[in-house]
Amino acid sequence: MLEVKNLTAAYGQVSVLHGVSLKVEKGQLVTLIGSNGAGKTTTMRAISGMISPTGGEILLEGKSIGGLASHQISKLGVAHSPEGRRVFPTQSVKDNLLLGAFSRLTFGRERGDVEGDLDRALDLFPRLRERKDQLAGTLSGGEQQMLAMARALMLKPEVLLLDEPSMGLAPILVEEVFHIIKRLKQEGVTMLLVEQFAAAALGVADYGYVMENGRIAVEGPAAQLQNDPKVKEAYLGGGH
Amino acid sequence: MAILLQLLLSGVALGMIYAVIAFGYQSTFATSGTLNFGQGEALMLGAMVGLSMAGNVAGGPYINYWAMIPIVLIFGALQGAVVERIGVRPAIKTKSEFGWIMSTIALGIIFRNVAENVWGRDDMPFPSPLPTDPLHIFGASVLPMELLVVVGAIVMMVGVEIFNRRSIYGKAVVATSTDRDAAGLMGINTGLVITFSYALSSATAAFAGVLIAPITLTGASMGAVLGLKAFAVAIIGGLNSGLGVIVGGILLGVAETTTGFYISTGYKDVPGLILLLLVLSVKPAGLFGKSVIKKV
Ligand SMILES: Nc1ncnc2c1ncn2[C@@H]1O[C@H](COP(=O)(O)OP(=O)(O)OP(=O)(O)O)[C@@H](O)[C@H]1O
Ligand SMILES: [Mg+2]
Repeated sequence: MLEVKNLTAAYGQVSVLHGVSLKVEKGQLVTLIGSNGAGKTTTMRAISGMISPTGGEILLEGKSIGGLASHQISKLGVAHSPEGRRVFPTQSVKDNLLLGAFSRLTFGRERGDVEGDLDRALDLFPRLRERKDQLAGTLSGGEQQMLAMARALMLKPEVLLLDEPSMGLAPILVEEVFHIIKRLKQEGVTMLLVEQFAAAALGVADYGYVMENGRIAVEGPAAQLQNDPKVKEAYLGGGH
Repeated sequence: MAILLQLLLSGVALGMIYAVIAFGYQSTFATSGTLNFGQGEALMLGAMVGLSMAGNVAGGPYINYWAMIPIVLIFGALQGAVVERIGVRPAIKTKSEFGWIMSTIALGIIFRNVAENVWGRDDMPFPSPLPTDPLHIFGASVLPMELLVVVGAIVMMVGVEIFNRRSIYGKAVVATSTDRDAAGLMGINTGLVITFSYALSSATAAFAGVLIAPITLTGASMGAVLGLKAFAVAIIGGLNSGLGVIVGGILLGVAETTTGFYISTGYKDVPGLILLLLVLSVKPAGLFGKSVIKKV
């Protein structure tokens, strides 16, 4: 479904990714973990076109999408719930969700049942249903995070990129978010998940990549990484 | 009393013209952080093109005033899109911080020169679509055209507001204004949205041009001062406040008509500038401007 080969990327003169390769098969949940500043967010930004890669290949269903503008990549079915939520604060929750379906509403992508999907998104996140007409900027941090996820889902994506959906959430909400991710997986949504809570992420994922300094250091089936002594020591300590 | 009322009404009509042009400044600033300093020339071109169709300067009139308006709007939109493509986009692409200032000013000068060559340097009367006899309201006499200016300005601004709130395309414009990168992730072609905002801003200026032309005179130099004053209004009201430009426009318009009458027409430009300096020193974001707070 999604394949990244030898990806390099930079911010100005500073190169950040030094040849990242990873693969997400259809229906799979793949997680990308690693310490702060390893390049996880940058990898996601390159995939969704927020930044242009300096080298390597990004393939979506075998088709090269590297270097396309983010709006083109979105139309091809890559939805990105970015780091820091980035909801539209001056617009209502409902408008944010409709914007998630922008390509579907404007002939860029098959329309399908947008109203039904809106309803389903609000079922998945009942907190959002209660606040449907509230301005997104007035939601709590946790609610904004859920809105960012729901908004990305509104694309009916081929691949969903989730960058730290649990960031800044209270433990009970973190649990809720992981519960929702599990449910999406059961529904067959293909996902690439970046997480601080590495143990929890490996707990729900099929396959995992561990990133260090702009490179993939270790990879393997999630169950195997969970028991890998090196991974355990570096990322799974602290008992999350 | 009747005189004061009359000055107020004329001031409001003038103020609404400022507000419409200032609204155009806001629209490009919101999506791209840039301004079209050729707004005054967009207004002038709109009035000139309108006059050529609905007046008798080019062998016309070919069509009446009302039928001319949509054509002028389309012309304005195209002209704005051209300004964005050749003057602004290259500057945004190269992240040149001030390139767009020079290029929009330069394009404005070019437009004025072209207009001088096409239509001459003399001011021309613009035939009024409405009766030119003033109406009497509580003793004040008001031109029907002045009422049309106020109504037209309000219809236009309300129309854009409804578009922004109701249609998915308008929502995309608002989204682009608040977070361009996130808007891109939604599948919104933000470059096209910026082009659209320039088209909208020039179309509104062109509209203002055909609204005000029957009250004033039409000529290649008519836009320069209006564009500048509307810029002052945008600063006074706040570059991100729709209500601000209406209040700011009316303040300035009324200040001008009253000064012109009670002090001297020679000083009529002074109160607006004093107001501008005052606002800049007390509330730099404008009377209604808000520094946007983003939750991280
Ligand atoms: N906009 C930017 N401009 C310049 N450098 C950046 C920018 N964003 C990230 N970087 C740098 O790129 C490197 C990788 O950052 P990135 O955000 O991809 O890491 P990350 O793995 O997502 O980290 P975290 O877990 O903290 O979110 C870091 O050294 C960071 O300082
Ligand atoms: Mg990150």
